[in-house]
Amino acid sequence: MKIHVDRTLCDNHGQCTITAPSVFRIDDQGILQYEENVDDSLRADIEDSMDVCPVQAIFIVTED
Amino acid sequence: MSSVAEAPYFNISDPKFAMHSEEVRNAREQSWYARTNYGIAVLRYNQVSQLLKDQRLSQGSGQWPAHNGVHSGLFYDWWTTCLLVLEGEDHHRIRRLVNPAFSPRHIEPLIPRFEALAEELVEAYASSGRCEFVADFAEPYATRVLCILLGIPESEWPTIARLASTIGLALGITITEELPTIEEALGELYEYAEALIRDRQQNPKDDFITRLVEANKDGDALSDAELRNALVLMIFGGMDTTRNQLGLGMQSFLHNPAQWALLGEKPELGRAATEEVMRTNPTTTWVTREAAVTFEYEGLTIEKGTTVHLFTQTSGTDPMAFPDPEMDIEGEHKPHYGFGGGIHHCLGHFVARADMSVAYPILARRMKDIRLGGVDEWLPDSGNTGPVRLPLTFTPAP
Repeated sequence: MKIHVDRTLCDNHGQCTITAPSVFRIDDQGILQYEENVDDSLRADIEDSMDVCPVQAIFIVTED
Repeated sequence: MSSVAEAPYFNISDPKFAMHSEEVRNAREQSWYARTNYGIAVLRYNQVSQLLKDQRLSQGSGQWPAHNGVHSGLFYDWWTTCLLVLEGEDHHRIRRLVNPAFSPRHIEPLIPRFEALAEELVEAYASSGRCEFVADFAEPYATRVLCILLGIPESEWPTIARLASTIGLALGITITEELPTIEEALGELYEYAEALIRDRQQNPKDDFITRLVEANKDGDALSDAELRNALVLMIFGGMDTTRNQLGLGMQSFLHNPAQWALLGEKPELGRAATEEVMRTNPTTTWVTREAAVTFEYEGLTIEKGTTVHLFTQTSGTDPMAFPDPEMDIEGEHKPHYGFGGGIHHCLGHFVARADMSVAYPILARRMKDIRLGGVDEWLPDSGNTGPVRLPLTFTPAP
């Protein structure tokens, strides 16, 4: 599963680091860093992260 | 500015201290921060945006009861274990469990009920061409939205409003003398929440509290007491804030009649109106943080334990971030921090955004040419502000 964070929306609140800490983290500069390729077993956590993001900046990339 | 002693100074406990003032605007132009009688105040957008999410700062409200001489008892126990003041994994565990119930996909189906409620409340007074906005609209609307969300009969809203407002006294400087009343209300709200939890455990529904009860099923998840505490926090945190923010919005539109007329014509601007009201006239005038460690920031040493007030209205109208800071519901603007930010970002913001985005356009359609219709009365600007009484006159419209 591939995920994408829209950097024009992301405001680095870090709510996603609570829901999916193995995927999202805030670095020393206060900027969100994340894994783009995520195991499908984490889908529920990613969906929770998408839901909880205050600015709704997280997306699962659908490839077709 | 070369030293701390030269930074502007505010007495933020003074009931006359005003956010929308020349004093605060001048200070923001001069310096990114001001000294206050309780720590520092951060005034500019970029610094508020950074410090709000800075992990060297913790949520600063945990010590509030202790600072006021309250060290034990029902209120103390609730406050010091509620999500608002928890940090680290203690905070994350509860937040992870309650977050899904606030998901936008669960809030959206409630929007038609918010619309019907707004129409019902306006209809009751519209033909007279006058209202007392707080009592006639803001308070019943904010409280009944909570009832809808929690699945409580809407007819019980006066009880909920009374209990939430009484517990709200705990945030004021009279906390010590009001403590017996506050604890009585808290005890009553506990019983209320416990009854709701028991009911949904026995009779699950497709609703908000059932979702929280379900989150509670797994072994190490939310205990019943944690769930009860969270429900009480939601009632406490969701009622006064929404009521006050609705009233502040009416104040903003009284000063911007062209924007009000525009909103009446274009209800699709409801969301933008909500964001603009919160950017330029937020009820939470500052967000409190406390330095968890001593650190350097923009040439200033912030000592461990320093209280840091992040000013929301001041940052949201900072000309360095908003070249034209006036309210403009058709404009594009950077995000505001009226819901706080970082890991303590307001849990209920999707609900608040949805219910206000519904209410303002309906009010603008039904109440043309709003004017102040009597003596208004306001809470001080410090902490959470808003109207106590806001009489309005208007031209009724269908």
